[in-house]
This record gives sequence, C-alpha cells and structure tokens, in this order.
Amino acid sequence: MNRRRIPEGFPWVLPSLLVLLALSIYPLIYSVKLAAADRGNFTRLFTDRLFLTASIQTIVLTIAALAIEFFLGLALALLVDSLARGRMFFRTALLIPMLLPPVVAAVAWRLIYNPQFGVLNGTLRWLGFHTAHLTWTSGESSALASVILVDVWEWTPFLFLLLSAGLQAIPPEPLEAARVDGAGAWRIFRDVTLPLLKPTIVLALLLRAMDLVRIFDQIFILTQGGPGTATETVSLYIYRTAFRFSNFGYAAAMSFVLLAATMLFSRGLLRAMRAR
Amino acid sequence: MMRARSGWREAARKAAALLPYLAAVAAVFIALAPVYWLLTISLKREVDQFAYPPQWIGFTATLEHYRDAFAGGSFAAYFENSVLLAAISTIAALAIGVPAAYGLARFEWPRQWDHRIADWILSTRMLPPIVTIVPLFLMLRQARLLNSLIGLAIVYTGFNLPFVVWMMRGFFEEVPKEIEEAAMLDGESRSGALLRIVLPLVRPGLAATAVFCLVVAWNEFLFALILTQTEAAMTLPVGIASRVTQYEIKWGAMSAAGVVAMIPVLVFAAAAQKYLVRGLSLGAVKG
Repeated sequence: MNRRRIPEGFPWVLPSLLVLLALSIYPLIYSVKLAAADRGNFTRLFTDRLFLTASIQTIVLTIAALAIEFFLGLALALLVDSLARGRMFFRTALLIPMLLPPVVAAVAWRLIYNPQFGVLNGTLRWLGFHTAHLTWTSGESSALASVILVDVWEWTPFLFLLLSAGLQAIPPEPLEAARVDGAGAWRIFRDVTLPLLKPTIVLALLLRAMDLVRIFDQIFILTQGGPGTATETVSLYIYRTAFRFSNFGYAAAMSFVLLAATMLFSRGLLRAMRAR
Repeated sequence: MMRARSGWREAARKAAALLPYLAAVAAVFIALAPVYWLLTISLKREVDQFAYPPQWIGFTATLEHYRDAFAGGSFAAYFENSVLLAAISTIAALAIGVPAAYGLARFEWPRQWDHRIADWILSTRMLPPIVTIVPLFLMLRQARLLNSLIGLAIVYTGFNLPFVVWMMRGFFEEVPKEIEEAAMLDGESRSGALLRIVLPLVRPGLAATAVFCLVVAWNEFLFALILTQTEAAMTLPVGIASRVTQYEIKWGAMSAAGVVAMIPVLVFAAAAQKYLVRGLSLGAVKG
C-alpha cells in the first residue's frame, strides 16, 4: 500500500478535526501566548499564597470526596446487587442526584444548609439537637467539609452506577467455583469479585478525579469560595482572576497547572479504557 | 414450646432479610430528600417556606412562584434560550461527529491511525473548561459573539463533538460490515448506505447520544456564565445562579425555576436509561 495515500476515511473525519482544532487546540496555544506574555505570570505561581491555598484545598477536596464516594458507591452497589427484588427501582432512584443540573442541586443545598432558616438545622432542632454551633457552609472550619458532603451526595451515584454495571458484568462461574470450594462471603469478595471489578474501579475513579479537580459549579453557588478563602479552589480562583480582575495572563498560567493534573489522569484513563 | 421458639427464629430471620431493603430505602431517601425539599419550597406560600418546625408535609400548596418566575419574570426567556441552545448544539455535534465516527469505525487506517485519532479526539473532551474558557472568551469577544446564542452554541458543539464521535464509533462497530457492503453492491453509495441502512440500525444508540448531548448542554454552567452575561442571552442555570448570588433572594421563584430546569433532564434520563452507563463513562463501558 502506498504510504503517501490519504486514508479513505480521512475526509469523513476532517470536519471534526477542524472544529476541535479551532475550539480546543487553538485556544490552548492562545493560552500559552497569554501566559507567556509576562514571565512574571509563571514565577508568581510559586509565591502566590492564595494559589497555594486553593491548590491544597482542591487536593484535599478531591481526595476526600473520591474516597468517600468510592466506598459508599461500592457499598451501595453490593447492597443493591444482593437484593432479590426491586433492583431496577433502586438503581434508577439512586441516580437522580447526579442527573440534576449542578446549579439546581446546589440551590437545593443552600436551602438545606442555611444556619438560620435551613431545613437541616430546623429538623435537627426539632428532633432536640443543639444547632447553634452547626454553621455548615457559612462556618470557616466546616465549609469545606460541607461542600464535600454535597459532592458526595451528588456524585456517589456515579460510582454506584459504574460499579453496579461492573458487578453485573462479572461472569457467575468464578463466583460459583469459589463457593463450591467453600470460600466465605468476604473471601469471595476479596479474591474473586474485587480483582474482576478492578478495571471498572480504575476507570470510575479516574473519571471522577478528573471532574473533581476542576470543581466549580457547586462551590460557585454554595459559597463563592468563602467564607474567607475556606472553600477557594483552583477553578474558582482562575475564574476570579480572569473575569473579576481581568488578569487573563495569570489565569492562563494557573490553568496550566490544572491541565497538567488532568493530563496525568487522562493518560491513565485512556489506558484503562483500552484495557477493557 | 419448640414451635414458638422456631417461630421466633423464623421471625428474626425474616427481619434480618429486610435489613438490606431498609438500608436501600434509607439511601433513596437521602438521595431524594434535597430534591423533594426544593419542590416543597417552590410550592409553599412565603410564610411557610422557612417556618419552624420545617413543614415537610401538609402545607398549603400554591403555584404563585411558578407564575412569578415564568409568567411575570424572565425565566421563560432563559428557558427558551436553554432549549434553543441544547437543540442547536446537539444537532450540530451530531451532524459533524457522526460521519467522523463512521469514518473511524469503517475504513482501513494505516498504522492504527483510527485509534490515535479517536484517542486524541476524546482527550480534547477531557480538557478542563476553565483552561479553554479564557481564550474562548477573548476569541468570541473579538468575533463579537459574546452574549449571543450562536457563540455559546459553537462552544457547546465543540464540547459535545468528542463525545458523539466516541459513542457513535462504538455503535457503528457493532454493526456487521457485510450489511452495508451488500447495499453498496446493489448500487447504494457509501453515504447512502450510512443514511439509509446503517443509521436506522443504530437508531437507539443515536438517540441515546443525542440525549446525552442535550443534557450536557442543558446542565452546563461555567461556559454559559462567562459567555452570556446579558439578561437576553442567559441560560436557565445562569439565570438561577444570578438570583442566588443577589443580596435578597426570592427563594420561591428560584426553586420553581430549579424544578422546571430538572424536569427535562429526568425525562431524558428515563428515556436513555439503557445507555446511562455507556454515556456517563464517555462510552467506555458497554451497557
């Protein structure tokens, strides 16, 4: 076959490639130019306390939310999988938080969290608990945890969905064989189910991690990064830098840090998808 | 005596069998309670909204907030913007992306170029929006497309395109080659075979892909927040957000808008239920 010949499928793909070049690659190059216009943009990354705070908080939020969502999602998937009846109902109902527009979900949680008139403190008080110290998103020390809780509520369904699908895809034979060999439930889970589920787990964790490091919508509605800087994340800080303070160059420089993290995840992700 | 004791044991066994169901029901309750609360706020009179103790049930229902938001307020216009935007960007992404998916799935590519191109296309979908938003904002400003539906529709098309290519490539690969080869022997052209033979075969997949594009465009917030800052151009999520960050919040109207904003998504999700896993994992897991 002539190596120089253009592949037959190329014309079919060309429009997509052009659109993506214009809307993804060109903006990236533009971004490099913006950031590089002033070398101070990159050195400032290392001295900017707020950027450091935002980065640390983004990492904390990502790891904490990921860990909780994974364990809860796995537990729920195993639980629903073990039910004899109503599996379809539970699978559907448990997905709803993830499908809602994130802005709407966050609005609902503002109505829940508000220390004075929120339904959470209202219900707790009605049940006889003291709620004066429960400030949720408006307390400096509890705000980040409260934001994480909303993310857990909203995205555990995602882990649940993928892990449920993974569980259903496990062929029954190895489980049967282990049972015949007299293995207990825990042994079967650890030595048979978990290894077979691993590709799905890796995929789900990477997809979720990639989304978590860029978290924006919920925090924008819930706290705008406050109180103070208690829930400031990298995305929020970039947004503010660019669109409140019109410092596009520095915003672009910061966004490359986020890009680097994403690329790390996406390489693993493509490999995980290929492995399936 | 014996019988009584075995009866006890039987009852205990039955109760234990119920525990998993109780746990699952509790999980559903937690998942739905915030949504339910939003719904009640949208239906309550203002005096009842933040009453103590909280009124979970048995409040006087009213539709005044829905009237406020949609008949008197600007939410009807935001709603219209969101509908148009979702429809236009989905159609455009399908029109551009379906041929690409077909091209990658059906033709011989030297040295695995089909895989490389598909991976590259998917990796553009993984770019964090905040990375491209600054240059896109400046580009659209230069093109005088800020605060216009067209500008945002272009951005959403680019955003959904990788997803369309990746999903549809998987669906096309499931169709046996022989079917369209037979059609082409009968004198059908390549694009004719795609339109008349292959597309009808993958219709459920095509519909699911369209649904996912619609939902992404409908729910999207960050691009819309930055690219549509005028009242006339706002989408529903941006309209809602602009009310929450004000000093005095009209919770009733906003909750009503929120409830309306989530209805289409839930309807669509029910329609595409079979493909949720595949769609939400960027087409990686068959399901």
